[in-house]
Amino acid sequence: MDEFDDREIARLLRLKRYEQPPPGYFENFLHEFHRRQRDELLRQPIWRMCLERAHAFMLGLDVRSLTSYPAAVAAVLVCAAVISLKIYQQPETARVALQSPPAISTPVSAGEEWNLASPPVAPPILRMQPVRSFHESAQTHRAAPPRYVLDSVPVSYEPTFRF
Amino acid sequence: MDQPRTDPDQELVKRTQAGDAAAFDELVIKYTPRLYGLVYNMTSNHEDTNDLLQDIFAKAYKAIRGFQGKSSFYTWIHSIAVNMTLNFLKKRGRRFQLSLDDVDASIQNDREFMEATATSSPVREADLSELQRRLNEAMMKLSEDHRAVVTMFHIQGMPHAEISKILRVSEGTVRSRLFYANRQLQNYLDEFRKNPVS
Repeated sequence: MDEFDDREIARLLRLKRYEQPPPGYFENFLHEFHRRQRDELLRQPIWRMCLERAHAFMLGLDVRSLTSYPAAVAAVLVCAAVISLKIYQQPETARVALQSPPAISTPVSAGEEWNLASPPVAPPILRMQPVRSFHESAQTHRAAPPRYVLDSVPVSYEPTFRF
Repeated sequence: MDQPRTDPDQELVKRTQAGDAAAFDELVIKYTPRLYGLVYNMTSNHEDTNDLLQDIFAKAYKAIRGFQGKSSFYTWIHSIAVNMTLNFLKKRGRRFQLSLDDVDASIQNDREFMEATATSSPVREADLSELQRRLNEAMMKLSEDHRAVVTMFHIQGMPHAEISKILRVSEGTVRSRLFYANRQLQNYLDEFRKNPVS
């Protein structure tokens, strides 16, 4: 036999199965494995240990069912942002403060003259008419901080009496 | 041919995944000798093999929670071992010292070895020892991928299908690598036979 054939090669290679480590190696391997694991744990920073535990915890859960969670959280955040923006932009309900006493007007007939002999004046009628409606105000000052106008008008601005 | 079988390690794997470290110890004890043979015949160095084996089991322990049982634990741990060893060999390059020259004492009791040497004269015995040394050298001349296939097929006795799963290549690729590796080994050993003294 001058040349090696496949069978002879295979036979020679099979002999290599019997190449073994030093005696006692396999018995000590597990102890060595535990020792290295402990050493590695001691060397690790705390944050990495926490990260690994969290990672292991997540792996322990059903990951497929968790894949929709980030999308759901993102959707909730977007909704919250939109709602908060809407609330910020909506003008507050106008609270009208009266800074001047209400104008008292008395109904006066065109032809009558007022004198001391006249009969007593009828009870005054309180009229509170805003100069501008609320909606007009809101349209004018949408972007600016809310401003309010008085709903009452000084007496001098009231329509003059016609005699 | 490739029928689905229940993984004999399934119970130990489940216990490990549930946090039972003792179950993983049993897996370590079970697979250390076999993985030692695989890594050692790829690295040709006891110390490197020991370090790699420790790293392989450490990695497997960390990753076992993610093991979903799509393959057997046997295939899974062998994949880790082969990939880590190949990465190690690529990093190490050619700076290695051959330490598998000496055939261990346990081989002396092997029937196959005794048959091979029974009728041999001291000269022929020396030849056989030299042949082993040459064979180891020839192994180290193979590329890492070819050596892995030769180790798994000839030395570990794995079928082509199992090797293809571990290496994630087709069975055809396994066969062609094996064919090419055998030719290379034959050429190298033929040279030795023609020129026994070198």
